[in-house]
Amino acid sequence: MDKLLSVDGLKTHFFLKRGVVKAVDGVSFALAAGETLGLIGESGSGKTVTGLSILGLPPRPAGRIVAGSIRLDGVELVGLSERTLASEIRGRKIAMISQDPMSSLNPVFTVGSQVAAPIRAHGLARGRSAMDLAIDELARVRVPSATERAGNYPHQFSGGMRQRVVAAMAIACKPRLLIADEPTSALDVTIQVQFMDLIESIQAETGAGLLFVTHDLGVAASLCHRIAVMYAGQIVESADVRTLYANPAHPYTQGLLESLPKLGARQSRLSSIKGTPPDPLSLPDGCAFHPRCPHATDRCRQQAPPSIDLGDGQRASCWLLENA
Amino acid sequence: MTDITRDAEITTTEGQSGFPFIAATVLTIVVVCAAFGPWLAPHAADAISLRDAMTPPAWEEGGESGFLLGTDNLGRDILSRIIAGARVSVVIAAYAILLSGGIGAALGMIAGYFGGVPDSIISRLIDVQMSVPSLPLALLFASVLPPGEGMVILVIVMTYWTWYARIVRGEVLSLRERDFIALAKVAGVSTPIIFIRHLTPNILNTMLVLATLQFGSVIVFEAGLSFLGLGIQPPQVSWGGMLSDGRNFIEVAWWLITIPGIAIMASCLASNILGDWLRDTFDPVRRQL
Amino acid sequence: MRQYIYKRLWQGAIAIVGALFIVFIAQRLSGDPVALLLPMDATEEDFAAMRVELGLDRPFVVQFGLFFSDAVRGDFGDSYLWNQPAMSLLLDRLPATLELALAGLVFAILLAVPLGVLSAAYRGGWIDNTAKLFAMLGQAMPGFWVGLLLIVVIAVKLQWLPAYGRGTLAHLILPAIALGWYPVAAMTRTLRSSMLDILESDYIRMERAVGIPERLIIWRYALRNAAVPLVTMIGVYFANMLGGAFVIEVVFAWPGVGRTVVEAVFARDFPVVQAGVVLASVVFVVVNLIVDLSYGFIDPRIRHD
Repeated sequence: MDKLLSVDGLKTHFFLKRGVVKAVDGVSFALAAGETLGLIGESGSGKTVTGLSILGLPPRPAGRIVAGSIRLDGVELVGLSERTLASEIRGRKIAMISQDPMSSLNPVFTVGSQVAAPIRAHGLARGRSAMDLAIDELARVRVPSATERAGNYPHQFSGGMRQRVVAAMAIACKPRLLIADEPTSALDVTIQVQFMDLIESIQAETGAGLLFVTHDLGVAASLCHRIAVMYAGQIVESADVRTLYANPAHPYTQGLLESLPKLGARQSRLSSIKGTPPDPLSLPDGCAFHPRCPHATDRCRQQAPPSIDLGDGQRASCWLLENA
Repeated sequence: MTDITRDAEITTTEGQSGFPFIAATVLTIVVVCAAFGPWLAPHAADAISLRDAMTPPAWEEGGESGFLLGTDNLGRDILSRIIAGARVSVVIAAYAILLSGGIGAALGMIAGYFGGVPDSIISRLIDVQMSVPSLPLALLFASVLPPGEGMVILVIVMTYWTWYARIVRGEVLSLRERDFIALAKVAGVSTPIIFIRHLTPNILNTMLVLATLQFGSVIVFEAGLSFLGLGIQPPQVSWGGMLSDGRNFIEVAWWLITIPGIAIMASCLASNILGDWLRDTFDPVRRQL
Repeated sequence: MRQYIYKRLWQGAIAIVGALFIVFIAQRLSGDPVALLLPMDATEEDFAAMRVELGLDRPFVVQFGLFFSDAVRGDFGDSYLWNQPAMSLLLDRLPATLELALAGLVFAILLAVPLGVLSAAYRGGWIDNTAKLFAMLGQAMPGFWVGLLLIVVIAVKLQWLPAYGRGTLAHLILPAIALGWYPVAAMTRTLRSSMLDILESDYIRMERAVGIPERLIIWRYALRNAAVPLVTMIGVYFANMLGGAFVIEVVFAWPGVGRTVVEAVFARDFPVVQAGVVLASVVFVVVNLIVDLSYGFIDPRIRHD
């Protein structure tokens, strides 16, 4: 077991009045310590729910993990009690940096007390010394004059600074695995770059594994070692970052890459994948991508494709690759 | 941008509930009693029979089947008096709702549609009205006007018109910006016609919800005034008045203060439940009417 | 923030002037205001003197001016039932009413906070359903009726607590429950719905994601946010309870402002009624002002504006 995290056949479904949404439907991947895995997909692809499921926090009350296994350092997390997850896993072993820095901090508590909260909750320190540790963490994420700023409230910080505070909260108890969910999508570009640098240096310092959830292939390329592309609750392709960008195998990945603006290349317009993501309540038969796929055949419309090993650690789920 | 987890549909499991049959039935009974009371009641509401005084309800020891809910200190039949009280409650509620709804909606529409000076005047008026607590206000009017139905209705209208005015003003403010109103204006439709043809139909749902909710509220308010002796005056029968009479026998006849209270509670509960249901049906998104 | 305070003070002043105007109009509505303001055994000279004092021969605006200048000095005439200035009579009884309203508020908060929080935390569970039932009954059962039922059951049948009068803490309990009955329902509903929103917010999700125990999340991190809308309500309900106390005081023979004013209505002691309405409005406005200004202590976003 050299892997830090291994997810196997994970299924998280939402049970609604109108039906069942299979938000995550059989996802498997693994992540080593110090490695960065990018989980890429459009809205509704299930990438955020995958991240939340690893934390044992599928959106309540409708969401539930119905099958699969999530192992951290070989320890099974699925089925652990809420109390154990909160006291031993979340924050302590796995932590999340969430999507929107503007809404991810509690408006009526000082940032210092919020960063100190996980330190206190996990019993690493109490009272004043917990606050001192929190100030250290704020300094580590390069919040200027951290000692004074610790007594300020979130609304007194800019978006970029708030995101750092969120990061400080996440790394306060030195977790082994960090899940970053679109941590930069709400920031402007220069702040994004600074924050990505910060995440990289935190990771280098702590040796934590990083699961980077994003819809942005460009950001993922600069940060990740490996990429897994999600569509309609499943991973349709995974590969190391070079292979994926040089040689995308799945038509959906190809479409995503084509829609990226290319530096130096003259493009009259951005091409993008036609159609819209499927209705999660009624996924199409066969391959979920077939209504949007330029190469779809009758077989694609009837049968879901298997995951095919393409060598060099690249796998994709597509009938087109069966004989390739 | 947003992920599936943010979908409001998914995080909300409280769906639309079914039509509240019990509440509707209770309200129907109250209204039928109000309309046909004299024909339904087993006795005359004011028929005194000292021989039968203080009979407990029929299921209690010493009860008589002729007086299903017992009698009061003068031997008057409680069931018949409850039925007679329904008439007073419904009549007062009907007048109060029509008047406060009409006045409130008219002022709210004027404020919302014209904005500017009319809006500031009406909005200040609402503020002032809302800063005078309604019960002391009722006492003020009770002390200068002859007590009775007219005074009760006046006080209720003064208290409740602000409800309608505030909400209708808000609705009209947003309606005003919508295309069909702008088109009507450009097409030269006169202002009264815009009010009647275009604004009124669009606030009717809201008005219906408010009126249903107000029904219960008015019943409680009227009962409070009559309980104090400032509302409906004997010999007219009202539920609040019955409670006030029963208070003197609180240690010997529990039914005298229990049964009229249950009548008040049931009517109010039914109208609240029905009102909530109507609100959710007309406007499932905005639940904070 | 300073601008906001000025604005609220100004609005409060307008509201009080408006209330005075309503009282003034009511006084004229009755036909002869002098007959209202003088005892029944007043002589013809008393009438003539009062006519001059009210300026009934002068224009309407002047009459209101005279009324207004008396009113701001708290002069609403003498109660002829009690033979002392009406306002000072009521101010003597105000502590009893405030005591009752405050006790009712404490009862309401003690019940509504746990009910609202737990019903949001365990949505759809038995606490939630119980709270829903409470909320519906609370709105439908008039407080004075609740008071009567409490007297029958607790005071008469069980003889646990006294039914009437003021004095010990035991006297306070039943009227406080009757008075706090309605706000419990409304506060529970508000707290539940704001807690539900907050418990689904990003910052609560973030706090869960770093392993803060659910108990702390609910009672500390979520509740402090939910307290902001609750405090607005507390202000509104405290003010309403001062009005509601008028009936409850009669039910429990509580020697406060409300009971005095109700008795004054029956005795045609109009100066006291006038003073009572104005006093109620002033307290209402002042309480709401205090509440508005106290937001800053709970919500740092307002404090720093």
